[in-house]
Amino acid sequence: MTDQPDLREALLAAVPSLRAFAISLSGQVDKADDLVQDTLLRALANLHRFERGTNLNAWLFTILRNLFHSEHRKRRREVEDPDGAYAGRLRIQPEQGSHLDLEDFRMALARLPSDQREALLLVGASGFSYEEAAGICGCAVGTIKSRVNRARLRLAVLLNVDDMDDLGPDSMTRAALQG
Amino acid sequence: MTSDKGNKLARALPRTSADDKLGTNGRLDSSSQKRIGDQLRAMYDELMQQPVPDRFKELLDQLEKKRDGSR
Repeated sequence: MTDQPDLREALLAAVPSLRAFAISLSGQVDKADDLVQDTLLRALANLHRFERGTNLNAWLFTILRNLFHSEHRKRRREVEDPDGAYAGRLRIQPEQGSHLDLEDFRMALARLPSDQREALLLVGASGFSYEEAAGICGCAVGTIKSRVNRARLRLAVLLNVDDMDDLGPDSMTRAALQG
Repeated sequence: MTSDKGNKLARALPRTSADDKLGTNGRLDSSSQKRIGDQLRAMYDELMQQPVPDRFKELLDQLEKKRDGSR
């Protein structure tokens, strides 16, 4: 065990961001944790394929994303309207009264097409460059850019972004009206 | 031509005006983009700050031991 002495630490350090990505992708914490666990196992089994000196996080995200999509494809055959199901699950997640604005955001995020959601999460939240995100998703940089752009536009519409200044009472009223 | 980028009136218009953003513009104005980015990161940070479940520490400990043992 001299080749990668910091491996355990490095993998452990990656867990919070892997979980955040997995939870945001799947909308379910328990499903996300299974996904992260499978990712770690697969990473360890394929360590010889990891090119040292390259970005460990990007590699782990690639594995997680691929696992998610192969699961998702399986589920898609069983469940009609997977995005609707996703939104429904998110709705019953426990939430913290004062975070109604974030709750709105989660709901809107859930309504994005999954390729757009994924691109936005990688670039806008996980801190990857467009190039890295393209590598993770196995598509062209231009495709990522356009997905991110479309995701933002769609979120702006869903959240009626002109109103987003008005946090607090207004967003609560809005939530109540839409409830 | 029909771009409503930065149009102050858009604020006063009813909800449907937001749809114009999709139809006519290729891009969001930078303040909207920033607000969406801020919310996205706020949501993500909340997730990132959750404590790492013990199962992952245990899993990595186990695997570490196995790897050590196999050498």
